[in-house]
Amino acid sequence: MAAVQSGQSETEEEKEIQPETSNDGSRTDGRPPAGSPGGPATSPGAVKPSAPGEEETLRAVLRFLQKNNLSESVEILRREAGLPDEPEDQTGSESSGTGSGGQEAGGGVGDAGSLLSRVSAAPTPAAAAAVAAPPPPPSKVGAGDDRPDVNVVLSAYSQQGDPVLYDVYYSGLKKFIESVLDCHRAELSQVFYPLFVHMYLELVYNNHEAESKAFFEKFSGDQECYYADDLRILSSLSKKEHMRGNETLLDFRTSKFVLRISRDSYQLLKRHLQERQNNQIWTIIQEHLYIDIFDGMPRSKTQIDAMSGSLAGEAKRDSNKAKVFYGLLKEPEIEVPLDDEDEEVENEEGKPKKKKPKKDSLGNKSKKQDPNAPQQNRIPLPELKDSDKLDKIMNLKEATKRVRLGRDTLPSICFYSFLNAYQGLTAVDFTDDSSLIAGGYADSTVRVWSVTPKKLRRVKSAADLSLIDKESDDVLERIMDEKTASESKILHGHSGPVYGISFSPDRNYLLSCSEDGTVRLWSLQTFTCLVGYKGHNYPVWDTQFSPYGYYFISGGHDRVARLWATDHYQPLRMFAGHLADITCTRFHPNSNYVATGSSDRTIRLWDVLTGNCVRILTGHKGPIHAIAFSPNGKFMASGATDGRVLLWDIGHGIMIGDLKGHTDAIYTLKFSRDGEILASGSMDNTVRLWDAFKAFDELETDDFTATTGHIHLPENSQELLLGTYLTKATPVIHLHFTRRNLLLAAGAYNP
Amino acid sequence: MASPKTLPKDAQVMIQILKDMGITEYEPRVINQMLEFTYRYVTTIIEDAKIYATHAKKSTVDAEDIKLAIQCRMDQSFTSPPPRDFLLEVARQKNGTPLPLIKPYTGPRLPPDRYCLTAPNYRLKSIQKKVSSSGGRITVPRLSVGSVSSRPSTPTLGTPSVTPKVATPLSLSGQRFTVQIPSSQTAVSKTVTPSTPTVQNVLINPSLIGSKNILITTKMVSQSSASESMKRKHEDDDDYDNL
Repeated sequence: MAAVQSGQSETEEEKEIQPETSNDGSRTDGRPPAGSPGGPATSPGAVKPSAPGEEETLRAVLRFLQKNNLSESVEILRREAGLPDEPEDQTGSESSGTGSGGQEAGGGVGDAGSLLSRVSAAPTPAAAAAVAAPPPPPSKVGAGDDRPDVNVVLSAYSQQGDPVLYDVYYSGLKKFIESVLDCHRAELSQVFYPLFVHMYLELVYNNHEAESKAFFEKFSGDQECYYADDLRILSSLSKKEHMRGNETLLDFRTSKFVLRISRDSYQLLKRHLQERQNNQIWTIIQEHLYIDIFDGMPRSKTQIDAMSGSLAGEAKRDSNKAKVFYGLLKEPEIEVPLDDEDEEVENEEGKPKKKKPKKDSLGNKSKKQDPNAPQQNRIPLPELKDSDKLDKIMNLKEATKRVRLGRDTLPSICFYSFLNAYQGLTAVDFTDDSSLIAGGYADSTVRVWSVTPKKLRRVKSAADLSLIDKESDDVLERIMDEKTASESKILHGHSGPVYGISFSPDRNYLLSCSEDGTVRLWSLQTFTCLVGYKGHNYPVWDTQFSPYGYYFISGGHDRVARLWATDHYQPLRMFAGHLADITCTRFHPNSNYVATGSSDRTIRLWDVLTGNCVRILTGHKGPIHAIAFSPNGKFMASGATDGRVLLWDIGHGIMIGDLKGHTDAIYTLKFSRDGEILASGSMDNTVRLWDAFKAFDELETDDFTATTGHIHLPENSQELLLGTYLTKATPVIHLHFTRRNLLLAAGAYNP
Repeated sequence: MASPKTLPKDAQVMIQILKDMGITEYEPRVINQMLEFTYRYVTTIIEDAKIYATHAKKSTVDAEDIKLAIQCRMDQSFTSPPPRDFLLEVARQKNGTPLPLIKPYTGPRLPPDRYCLTAPNYRLKSIQKKVSSSGGRITVPRLSVGSVSSRPSTPTLGTPSVTPKVATPLSLSGQRFTVQIPSSQTAVSKTVTPSTPTVQNVLINPSLIGSKNILITTKMVSQSSASESMKRKHEDDDDYDNL
């Protein structure tokens, strides 16, 4: 990478006089190369015009020998090659053959440095000297190839460059970016953060502790505010050994930070970096950054800010291109028996009879397959048992009594406060029909309560079971043991705080995941533990049953989400790709996709069938703790510790809304049963209701938006906010809409 | 709580560290916990380092030993999750297999029994009293504590249990505990108890067990109930002694 422009040597002499001058002096414009060729000839130790390539090779070898203290060989070589006697320079060799050699400011040996720079600059100015005024940019890179062997040798140090000069490079870049046109400035400023982190990590990795500290102190304040947490972690790393234990940072170092820049801005940047000796920056950019170029207008600061914030930059264009079947699966047709419970029997008997069948088969009008819905048998799903059919019938009946929510009819909220939990309540879940609540605690227990007056009963022991009459109508009642009836049941088994709970849709099972790395399946008939699924060896932060039962997902500290089936002791799918812990895992309503939110501030959507990541959604500025899918499957809402709720269009994979209002981390999000209202609960002790219909109403998403990331977020948080409800001192950690659209909330009273 | 001026120096340092790492709200006990951890960690490392130094026949412990000690401990206690490329590779392999089909109508869908937690998790001690030898068939039924066959006699989700009725040739009605035994012949041939093969043991539902952990062992061929009951009473006392 010995690409140094020809003009550099001109200012070398200036450099020798003022070693501290940073190279950004007057470099912003492309300097005419014409003035330069004369330069090298006048510097001491002039390049012999004859066989300049060879000369440089020899010099480079000489440098190498000097670096390795092979003084005798140095003498012999010098004598034999007839090279003029040059002052030793130890540090000069460390600053590699790349452009950094030119500014040997730190080394203080100006002329030796200039010699080295001429070694690398030589090809171009030599060529320039021979041929006056060649155009610099294209030839530089080519120049480097003239002496590949030496380059290889010198490039052993070029990985690091001169540590002292990192400061110089960075401020140089900063000055450049501040001086470009406004429209490009925002885009190019994206480069600062990844560059800063990578330069810092390189300094640490190569054991330049003092320089790394100085570098950090000087430039960490300039970064965007939403990177503050990462910077704090970085500041604690000052040695190479510290890096080894931190998986997230190692991943950051090896994975590419993605930036989306418009073509014009990119050209500007490229031209600038290649003109100057800042090849260290160019090296870093090429190695560690992935610049996704799009053609079009540069994005504005607000647009960029909305999408950035994740640990790995934004998402590449093609990572959000796969087709996602976000439609719902067709409901099976069920005959609803007409019984007298139905209140609408006021109408003539004939009418309800005709109406009912239509209501059951919801998709009856469109017999054709919804193009956006997955095939019924895309993934194997459990068959519908009789009890499930009964459940569905109940569901439909309740649906008829459902309150239609809207801007003017807000739901009533019923809050369940867990008392005496002393900050130990870590997870809550409700069953779909809202008859049971379960709470997971930091003391590793799980408690299940009955919300309805009906108490919780255990199934009788096998001894007693054989006594009952199996043919009787109320056999399901008789199998329950009355002696064990109680309001709540405690489930013991985990050996660490329980961080996630999920009821199965058929209310037979309860899942819980905990810090001990296991996911446990409990039976709600006997209130005992059935299976412990071991796979994560690290805390598991969240788990959820599939909407159809049988499958469940779990995600934890090991950065992998796993899909399990209740009858397999090993996971069926592993979703790996996140850079940091997975904090939230949710199924899509059609059970074909899984969304995972992570501490690396991205949300990924995974396909259950293939295990591929089909969407990467960036934009949050903090770890994501809440994800909710809209009931129609098209949209997703996510909440993070930054207090914002972001709305996403899954089909296109872009952000369509940003709801600001909460002041603290959001831990729960839920859509109402028909998707009209989005409720969010957060640590700031409030529940907020947002108008989801309106938020998803006006959407013009087209391909342009998707490719360029030119999202247009309407600033309508205030209009969409329908209500804020404060609790006394209870952070809200779970929300649930009953089948009739009553909102239930749960939290632990925390005075 | 002691005011910062009178806190020991270590605690002040710890407070400063917490502040530097951006932790502003914490309970006061956190400082103590952190100090304890620090003390334990540092002493462990230094002790390990001393061992390494003596192993290398060095007179003093130097930085190399400490580094080695830290490295070894890190691999032991502070493991970190596998690296990303490894996970991607494993995931690729696992995701290559198609999703298994679901068998319909199989009742509760659970993994094979050995992966479940539904097996009984205790055994009761076996005490052998008497073995009669009439043609290999024990005629005297006895009450004794014996080891359990891990085969529950009725399929249950939880513990194996005992039904109140007995469907065996032995009529143990009138006893406190009664046992249901699957067909004795086949059962005995399959029994895996280490005690005499003629003894078949069945576990009693723990909820029925009162103060005595008595396991009823029944034999294949019964005797008259009268003698049974007498023998049983006898056994009771013995069992008390043994228990």
